[in-house]
Amino acid sequence: MAREVISTGNELAALGAFDAGCMFFGGYPITPSSEVMHEMSDMLPTVGGKFIQMEDEIAGISVALGASMAGTKAMTATSGPGISLKSEQIGLGFIAEVPLVIINVMRGGPSTGLPTRVSQADIGQAQYPTHGDYASITLCAGSLEECYTQTVRGFNLAERYMTPVFVLLDETVGHMHGKAVLPDLEDVKASIVNRKRFDGKPEDYRPYDVPMNEAAVLNPMFEGYRFHFTGLHHGPTGFPTEDAAQCQFNIERLVGKINAVALENDGLDDEADYEEFMMDDEPEVILIAYGSISRGAKEAVMKLRNDGIKAGLFRPITIWPSPEKKLKEIGDKYKKIFVTELNMGQYLKEIERVTGRRDFSTLHKANGRPIAPLEMVAKVKEMF
Amino acid sequence: MRHTIRFTGVGGQGVLLAGEIMAAAKIKLGGHGLKTATYTSQVRGGATVVDITLDDNEIFYPYANEGEIDFMLSVANVSYQQFKNGVKPGGIIVVEPNLVHPTEEDRKKWIIVEIPIITIAKEEVGNVITQSVVALGITNEFTGVLEPETLREVMLSKVPKKVHEVNNKAWALGIQYAKEAKAALGM
Repeated sequence: MAREVISTGNELAALGAFDAGCMFFGGYPITPSSEVMHEMSDMLPTVGGKFIQMEDEIAGISVALGASMAGTKAMTATSGPGISLKSEQIGLGFIAEVPLVIINVMRGGPSTGLPTRVSQADIGQAQYPTHGDYASITLCAGSLEECYTQTVRGFNLAERYMTPVFVLLDETVGHMHGKAVLPDLEDVKASIVNRKRFDGKPEDYRPYDVPMNEAAVLNPMFEGYRFHFTGLHHGPTGFPTEDAAQCQFNIERLVGKINAVALENDGLDDEADYEEFMMDDEPEVILIAYGSISRGAKEAVMKLRNDGIKAGLFRPITIWPSPEKKLKEIGDKYKKIFVTELNMGQYLKEIERVTGRRDFSTLHKANGRPIAPLEMVAKVKEMF
Repeated sequence: MRHTIRFTGVGGQGVLLAGEIMAAAKIKLGGHGLKTATYTSQVRGGATVVDITLDDNEIFYPYANEGEIDFMLSVANVSYQQFKNGVKPGGIIVVEPNLVHPTEEDRKKWIIVEIPIITIAKEEVGNVITQSVVALGITNEFTGVLEPETLREVMLSKVPKKVHEVNNKAWALGIQYAKEAKAALGM
């Protein structure tokens, strides 16, 4: 049975992690994400899980990565400044192929920026949070329900693709307090993905000896399957190598296991990568927005329709890799497209890249204030 | 039918909780309620605004549309001045007269009601923390938007049992003062 709760986005993200089987949280408090941590500290001990508040952001992700290396589902949560501090260890997660869910409740930046105010300015950071070549998986919640469901999905994708996964909330969605209808717990449990394991003889175990575009098979530690974790390029057993062919293969596989697979299968899993809101009656104008800003955009769509302009909204949920095929289709089909984000145009660049167009009407803000539906309506009307 | 209500104060006054209670009560009654808060990084003393949207249908934009707010309650001048313009012309603004100072123009634009919320909480209830519950009683009496008994029950579910009595007292005083103010206005 679906579960109706009254809660906040941050609390529901924590509940999603808990229901997805997260048994370890390491982190350091930061506005506006701290409630994720508070909730985990309440819930984890009740089921024998472990919660540690570390001395700083770097230590917070380090212990979480360590827990995941040992075979436990783990999470950390922070905001933009915390991601900046964690970036070196996020890179270790990418190259060593350690599943980890990283929640980023976005606030204004750069640096300490606007601690208590809303922003969507970490979209670019989520794509390339650290140096080197890799591909990022980034999900973005636009409702209280999605704070829960996208966190569950984040764990499943992390385990399936053996990689850190970002779940983006923002101050509005994270702190918003209201009703959410969560999926049936049994259905959630039935959807859980666990990382693959090797069951052959320990002496035959080669965790990184996998074909192109497939994820490493990392067995839990302390079960007799010996291998090595390193941030250096590594061969089949995880020990460092500088072999040219191996290094090239490693990076092509790291990028390909996410980007090539998503492109080929039109998504990373069977879950929706986007929402089409009022798009089934040939709208005259399409708004594109994601996260909390999409909520104002939905209201703008309804106001525009009341005023005689047939509008629709396209809302990406999987931000990286972007829903390329669908974005291209929209770019080809609709002449009038309006893009609005709470940053200076970070996702606009991706939409331009995919569609090959540069003629969008836009509304971008970076002052820590939400974008009101009436502001969007006024801007869209200028297109007519 | 959509109702938008705004509470403004400074950090630490408990206006966040009052907003949560209203949203939760509307949900309990089968509708939709959303509370959002905007505050500064200066946690104590910074201007805080809480927007509460109550609707029978799903609410998308979680903040009040500026100029569409039906009712505002303010217990701090800094946030009153900053956020008053969200209230629609002719809307009701309840202020704590010892702390909030509306201009003459404000009094022409809106129905300004003066109720000494903090003094009531401090002196009549005997606990300043209950000011948010006094405010809750006032707000519901003026807006009539929620079934009072449900709202009171939700309020009690959010506070520890040992303070139920003082909060019931605060709630009743809020309603009483609002009724008197309404009578004086001929409402």
